Amino acid sequence: MIFTSRMTQLFAVVLQKDAERVTESLLGEGVMQFISTSEIGEPAQHAAPVCAGVQASLTEISDLRKRIEGLLHTAGVIPSPPSQMDLTRRAAVDLEKEKGLLARLDTERTTIRERQRELQQEILKLEDIRRQMVLYGAGLSDITASAPQSFIAMQTGKIAASSASRFEEGLREFPSVSIPVGRERDSVHYLLISMKRDAERVQRVLDGAGWVSIELPAELKSVKEDAFQELSAKLQTLADEQKKLETQADDLVKREVPHLREVWSHLRVSELLHRIQTHFTPVSRTMVFTGWLPAEKQARLTEAIRRASGGRCHLEWHEASGRDPLGDEVPVRLDNPRVLAPFQMLVSNFGVPRYGTIDPTPLVMPLYLAMFGLMFADVGQGLVLMSLGVLGLVLPRIRAAGRGWHQLSWLIVWCGLSSVFFGLLFGSFFGMAILKPLWFDFHGIVAGHRSEGSVVNSVFDILAITIYFGITVIGIGLLFNWVNIIRTGKWAELVFDKGGVLGAWMYAGGIYVAFYLVSHDYGQFPSRGRLLLLVGLPAILLLLKEPYHRWRREGEPSASRTNPVLAALNAMMHWVVELLEIFSGYLSNTLSFMRVAGLGIAHVCLMVSFFTLAEMTSGIASILLLVLGNILVIALEGLSAGIQALRLSYYEFFTKFFHGTGKLYTPISLDSEG
Amino acid sequence: MAGPLAKYSLVNAKLRARISKILPDRVFVQLARAPSLEAALAQLRETPFARLDEIYSATGDLRQAELELLRDEIDLYRGLKGHLHRESVELVDALLCQFEIDNLKNAIRVFFDRVVRGRPAEASAHYILYEPILHDIPMDIVVNAQGFDEIAGVCEGTPYSLIIRKYSHTAESEGSLFRLEIALDHFYYANLLSAIERLDRRDRAIAERLAGVRIDLQNVDWIIRLRSFYDLPMETVLAAIVPGGFNLSKAAISELYSAQNVTPILREFVKTRYPGLSALLSSQVSDSVSRLLLIRRIMEEIMRQEVQRILAGYPFTVGIIVAYFVLKKNELDRVRIVLNAHQQGLQPERIEGLI
Repeated sequence: MIFTSRMTQLFAVVLQKDAERVTESLLGEGVMQFISTSEIGEPAQHAAPVCAGVQASLTEISDLRKRIEGLLHTAGVIPSPPSQMDLTRRAAVDLEKEKGLLARLDTERTTIRERQRELQQEILKLEDIRRQMVLYGAGLSDITASAPQSFIAMQTGKIAASSASRFEEGLREFPSVSIPVGRERDSVHYLLISMKRDAERVQRVLDGAGWVSIELPAELKSVKEDAFQELSAKLQTLADEQKKLETQADDLVKREVPHLREVWSHLRVSELLHRIQTHFTPVSRTMVFTGWLPAEKQARLTEAIRRASGGRCHLEWHEASGRDPLGDEVPVRLDNPRVLAPFQMLVSNFGVPRYGTIDPTPLVMPLYLAMFGLMFADVGQGLVLMSLGVLGLVLPRIRAAGRGWHQLSWLIVWCGLSSVFFGLLFGSFFGMAILKPLWFDFHGIVAGHRSEGSVVNSVFDILAITIYFGITVIGIGLLFNWVNIIRTGKWAELVFDKGGVLGAWMYAGGIYVAFYLVSHDYGQFPSRGRLLLLVGLPAILLLLKEPYHRWRREGEPSASRTNPVLAALNAMMHWVVELLEIFSGYLSNTLSFMRVAGLGIAHVCLMVSFFTLAEMTSGIASILLLVLGNILVIALEGLSAGIQALRLSYYEFFTKFFHGTGKLYTPISLDSEG
Repeated sequence: MAGPLAKYSLVNAKLRARISKILPDRVFVQLARAPSLEAALAQLRETPFARLDEIYSATGDLRQAELELLRDEIDLYRGLKGHLHRESVELVDALLCQFEIDNLKNAIRVFFDRVVRGRPAEASAHYILYEPILHDIPMDIVVNAQGFDEIAGVCEGTPYSLIIRKYSHTAESEGSLFRLEIALDHFYYANLLSAIERLDRRDRAIAERLAGVRIDLQNVDWIIRLRSFYDLPMETVLAAIVPGGFNLSKAAISELYSAQNVTPILREFVKTRYPGLSALLSSQVSDSVSRLLLIRRIMEEIMRQEVQRILAGYPFTVGIIVAYFVLKKNELDRVRIVLNAHQQGLQPERIEGLI
């Protein structure tokens, strides 16, 4: 847990006839991150290129799977990763048949969309007219006199009943409303509303249909008022038809969802199997493959491969160490208990630790929570945070949003818990110091009251606590750095690195000098001898860094011969700069932790302010003020504390030892993404 | 006089929250790789563009969906004005002017197609915004007009009337709206630069720089279009160029348009101001259009860097408003490009190249 998981590399040779079964078992186990055999050296003498056929099949299967996935997404279905059962009962998919199905669905849906677009154009035309009617009036009092500024033209006339359909068809391309208002023998009377801008073209249609303009008989004039209603009714009919088409398009896919899900599952399994096989190299009648897996999975995978191949296999194992020259190439697995998952997320966000180095996750949890709690110590507000976190865990919308949100919700729960714990230590409940503090009275100190019998009596004591905390965190970071360096066997780095022995020596010396100075009221430094021993000596020894590296490089062919004077000046410059970096860096890193105290004090002060404001009012206003104040503090201070704790973890802690050069372990398994 | 904090603290917080929601590049790559338009729209369901999918599912009409998107965006800017100081309101109005001008251009095109070219333009008329954006221009009248005079008449009281009157005869005689549209675009940038002039010194410097880079990108866009589709003579091209570019002067543009090797022209300012882009300069391209596309790419990178500079700098300046406008427009354009490309059946690789 404290280090990255031990990884081991497998070289395997199996018979080609067993390749299929071995592939299945590799996928079933899902623990192997494959390496292309070309990456590990010259191809074997009789090696054939990676099967082009396999690659081509993979591409075809992958494309089809993505198309089906896209289709399922349109139906609001997100397929789940295949299971072991899907692997064992998988069936071959007739790719051409499924492509045919997709093509049919696409064609049907395209037809529906085309019809929808046509309908939409109809709707827009009628809405055009309706807008004109609303804007300028339809001259409803007199059918022939629409408002002069209106763009609609209204006219009445009659056509032969036999020409009616041609008439209506001809008008389809224009925004128009034609309302049959009555029949007279074999003629149909119409009220026609169209746009003035289309007058010429409409007239051609009317002429073609044999339109005769007439005055409507008195008894039919009443329909003019119905024109608007008729228009609205037509629009409604079209809208209903649109809705039906929309449902039809949705149902088209939904009907096929069960079948598509099944096919997707088979394709996904097939795709993963093919993906594994792209890492196989055929050699004569065998298949060679290699990859990394966690050492603890070795026995199980060995058993699985032997079973699948009937014992006809040759397996070689090579465990990687941190000193491995391929250290950066070994994939890294962070193996932490589930409870640490939110904190592993914080670590992964920063980077992936190099293989063989320390995984700081187990320590990030207490450190992060301690910093958060110190900045946001309140039982009541902590409980609110916990509730919010729990809400995030149970609300379906947030659960469906992905693992990231799930982990964030857990993080909020933990932060809430820390807040409750520190709230108990400091005796704070929704900003009120009503609980008996188990450690010291934070509120009282901020308000200026001295607490008798307590070690912590003033704001400066609180600041001191955070300084001690910071020194501890930095010290742990340095320790981790040494462990990492020792595991990689870089002894020179252990001595000369900024986070190495000399750097730490100077830091420790600096701390001693600072505390000595403070304890002597800033009037006295330690003795010269002590100063020399604690700070001077490591600084002088650091001067050896450049000459040492130069000496190491002397034997190398690429080493250039430089002027010794210039080399000495160069070394001096490096030394001065490095000393400045060490002193200023460690000083700023340590003082940075004072923000923990600062934010904690600010938290208390904000609540005190709200209480003061509340005292100026009474009744419901007072309560409302306190509630709003708590909400504001939880939102602002909570966010601030979370961010600052993260900043301190990343910048003050991680930078001491963390090299995010690792590659994450991504085995091919049934859960694989992409 | 209000200080920067008073002027920009609220709008800064608001816009930064909105900027964080702008779709990242990987989402556009996924959209481009979607197997169909429907699948791409389905991917947008969990984004602020979910309405596109709703409207397309309901109507089958992508343009309708885009129009709704545009409405939402305009409403956002109008809503933003309520939180701004007076000077910044003028700037936002100047930025909003682009939407109004684009809308007016679309309406004039409908009129022009119908009356001058004698072509039906029903379909396009439905995709005009009829509600006012900045000025109360009755777009119904523009769309249904019988002549340019009518359009200029309803635009009285707006800056567009004079421009329309000035170029209407040219449009009718040439049978093309090219010069009128260029003039409207010139007005937009002139108006924008004028609004920037009225800002205080610090805001002015920031806004001028970003507007200048935007003008450079616009100019390069134009010369690509003019070269690829029209192959116009140099004088016409230079007349179309908007003055006020930050990196590319008129002389530089003239050289870019005609030069075989554009590297020396670009090297000067790329090396000093944007050293990280020097690698792009070494790309080898042969034909003139590819050269211009390379220049466009460099300009887009410059725009990106300028926006990043603003976002990483002092937060309480007008830069946040201009940066948001640029980023949001870029996002909307990319969404439109991807969805329209899918509708036209382009291959994913080609679509990726377009964005």
